[in-house]
Amino acid sequence: MTGIGAGLLLQLGLGALAVTSALLAAPSLRSRAGGILCTLIAVTGFVTGLDALLGATGGLLIPIALPMDPLLLAPDRLGGLFMLVVSGVGILVSLYSMSSTRGPDASRTAWVAMPVFLVGMQLVPAATDSVSFLLAWEIMTLGSTVLLLADHASRATVASAGIWYSAMSQLSFFFILAGFAVLAAASGGTSFTNLQAIEPGSWAANVAFVLFLLGFGGKAELVPLHVWVPRVLPEAPSHVSAAMSGAMVKIGVYGGLLVCVRLLPDGPAWWGIAIMLVGGASALYGILQASVSSDLKVLLAYSTTENMGLVFLGLGASMLLRGYDATAAADAALVAALLLAVSHAAFKSTLFLGAGAIIHATGERNLDRLGGLGARMPVTAAAFGIASLGAAAIPITSGFVAEWMLLQSLIHGGRQGGAVVSVAASVAMPLAVAVIALTAGLALLTFVKAYGIAFLARPRSAPAADAREVPPLMQLSLALGALSVLALGLLPGPIAALVANTVSSNPTAAVQSVGLGGVSLPGIGAVLDPIMLVVLSALVAIPVVVSIVVSARRHPHRTVDLPWGGGGSRARPRMQYTATSYAEPLVRVFDDVLKPSRDVQVTHVAESRYLVEKVRVEQHVSDVIETRLYRPVLNLFQRYGIVVRHVANGSIHRYLSYSFVALLIVLIVVSL
Amino acid sequence: MFETFYPQLIGFCTGALLLTSALMVWRHSLLASIRLLALQGVALAALVAVIGIAEGESELVLVSLLILSVKGVGLPWVLAHQSKASIKQIQESPRLNPTAALLAVTLLTILSYVVVSRVFGLGDSETGHAAPIGLAMVLIGFLLLISRRRARSQLIGFLLLDNGIATIAFLTSGGVPILLEFAVSLDVLLVVLILHVFAGRMRTKFGGTAVDQLRELHD
Repeated sequence: MTGIGAGLLLQLGLGALAVTSALLAAPSLRSRAGGILCTLIAVTGFVTGLDALLGATGGLLIPIALPMDPLLLAPDRLGGLFMLVVSGVGILVSLYSMSSTRGPDASRTAWVAMPVFLVGMQLVPAATDSVSFLLAWEIMTLGSTVLLLADHASRATVASAGIWYSAMSQLSFFFILAGFAVLAAASGGTSFTNLQAIEPGSWAANVAFVLFLLGFGGKAELVPLHVWVPRVLPEAPSHVSAAMSGAMVKIGVYGGLLVCVRLLPDGPAWWGIAIMLVGGASALYGILQASVSSDLKVLLAYSTTENMGLVFLGLGASMLLRGYDATAAADAALVAALLLAVSHAAFKSTLFLGAGAIIHATGERNLDRLGGLGARMPVTAAAFGIASLGAAAIPITSGFVAEWMLLQSLIHGGRQGGAVVSVAASVAMPLAVAVIALTAGLALLTFVKAYGIAFLARPRSAPAADAREVPPLMQLSLALGALSVLALGLLPGPIAALVANTVSSNPTAAVQSVGLGGVSLPGIGAVLDPIMLVVLSALVAIPVVVSIVVSARRHPHRTVDLPWGGGGSRARPRMQYTATSYAEPLVRVFDDVLKPSRDVQVTHVAESRYLVEKVRVEQHVSDVIETRLYRPVLNLFQRYGIVVRHVANGSIHRYLSYSFVALLIVLIVVSL
Repeated sequence: MFETFYPQLIGFCTGALLLTSALMVWRHSLLASIRLLALQGVALAALVAVIGIAEGESELVLVSLLILSVKGVGLPWVLAHQSKASIKQIQESPRLNPTAALLAVTLLTILSYVVVSRVFGLGDSETGHAAPIGLAMVLIGFLLLISRRRARSQLIGFLLLDNGIATIAFLTSGGVPILLEFAVSLDVLLVVLILHVFAGRMRTKFGGTAVDQLRELHD
């Protein structure tokens, strides 16, 4: 048995052990034992994924009695990359959950579901046939659903989120299943090698592509299938949100890549354009909603939609460019999309874990009631800050490298040797650049708001004022997350070269590692070397800092009382900017898209109506797609459901009669 | 000697199977149904033994003994394991009246003959000619399942359905390996035991086993 096969088998064994220990361990030991075993599962997955990413082959063959291709788990390089990403997030989440879980989050059910979820996520990228892919997909979905429902008894919103999540994931599963069914019917086999034989231009491939886009797009939180995101990610326990947003969503991306790169490469041009449209719309809509949200976890959830939109934008651009033989730019765009997925896993899981730390310390996730946590929770603040930089795509973090590379490929991709490659590309690329520019600006605003309102200024509520730093293991996990964000940002070259190996036939022509871990795109002629940038900025900054320090030493600090504070000396926390007021201009600008509902109540003093006693402002931004698209459909289903209730009235005799009549009809039809 | 009797023996056994099935639909008393089920088990075991002797397979004779002990003795005993007095009182009030039910049995038997002859062909062998009986038993079992109100009468329908499947298996392919047969028999026994306990619990909890009244779902 090869190393990869042994790794996969070990993971399955550890998963079974973790489930058993969750069932049998005493409540006081459950979290510790579960956390340690889940960490081991994730570490095994990390090593296995790395092995596959570096080009090792082999796998785990599972013979079955059914008349189809045997189940084979053997990750290729791309699968290895995603195993690596998923298990990396798994390590952070497992370490974190060891000390963060309490109450219903640490229940027996939750700890049984956790290893199931982790192993399921690992197996999806390892699958090499549609049956084991779907099986692993369902294991993953099942595990995450149970984890989400951990707290359903005490909060009604969790139950509602659970229903949305189940419905949407089953919808995704249905589309994926249908997609595989179409391909399998056309190719006569279920293994990916068989499915690859299909001509990408054939009608079966086109139908399957649309089905897969709907299915994987739903998992990857793309508009308009994202409606579960703002409900589910905020309501799940924070470590579960981190695993969902950091890892599970990547499996949706992997699905997209599987279809567009591995199963049906070189599809027609409209595939690329469709993916770019969906991706661009998701990016814009996601970041708009995130920028006006004052709930920290809703903000992070919508920002996930934005990032996945950008990933798919890159994927679509690469497909479009490849169709016009602009291979270097196409490879660069694809590598950028993958790097964005990797870096999103790092920063978004850190952000969700940070949000979890805030909730752990204050019990609040409403930004309007937070503030001043920077001084009280320094490690959390530092980790959240670094991850926010990553999410806002600021240099020396991972997000910047990915967006830089994506922009390079989009800007230079439309032209090859000075000539326009095609009309479609020359229209699509500048539009995509505009989308990314707007997204990047709004993302900066969003994360300045998230970090600034939560960690800076003065506490806006009593729980925020009493916050304490979280336990050491949670700090460790946050620090590891932040370090990975920095490492991905400072050493993009080797990482990009590895990533390029997974998707490109000629990786060195697309991406090379240069200088001190810098990255170069030979086909485009662009170079980025973050460490050199840091060194150069340090060379500029050090003399300035030194002179400031020296001058500060020379003139000792004087404490001065304001002779006349102008009101500033008596400023109360309530006078500060809140998340809502910070985003208010944005709400105004994008009023037509966001359609906020605002309610202002003014109470006058009894004696005079010229004096105001208090003003109460309530603003609610609802998801337009949910209210305009899903509500009518749901209402229709509800009406249909009431009618159907007569047919399915709960009588077992009636159900049995249905199957009997069906059997008779089948018999009569076959004998005709 | 045996060869001359063989077709008649097959005909006799399968005829007994069909007759017991039809009688089960006709009779309403639970005790009578259980006795018919036992008789059917014996007939099935006899059928298997006849096939085994005709084909010279000693394994099939072993299987027939197994069937005799499980379907002829074990299952009926489990079902009737209660004071005879109380079980005699249990009268089924089915959703179909006897005449309609017997008519349905006739139609189902005809249908199964039509289906088997049109789809699979009856073949030349005696067993092949008798194969539609198995399908008819499955369909009649299903009819019992949907027309009986009590859980235990439904259980009998389920066992009839299972007997039908076994009959088809023996008539068309000379049975399944003994290990598989053993496993399936044990499975059925287990299911019946569980359902029996379940019906008992239903009776103590709700005062009856009429499945009609179990419409509402409770947390």
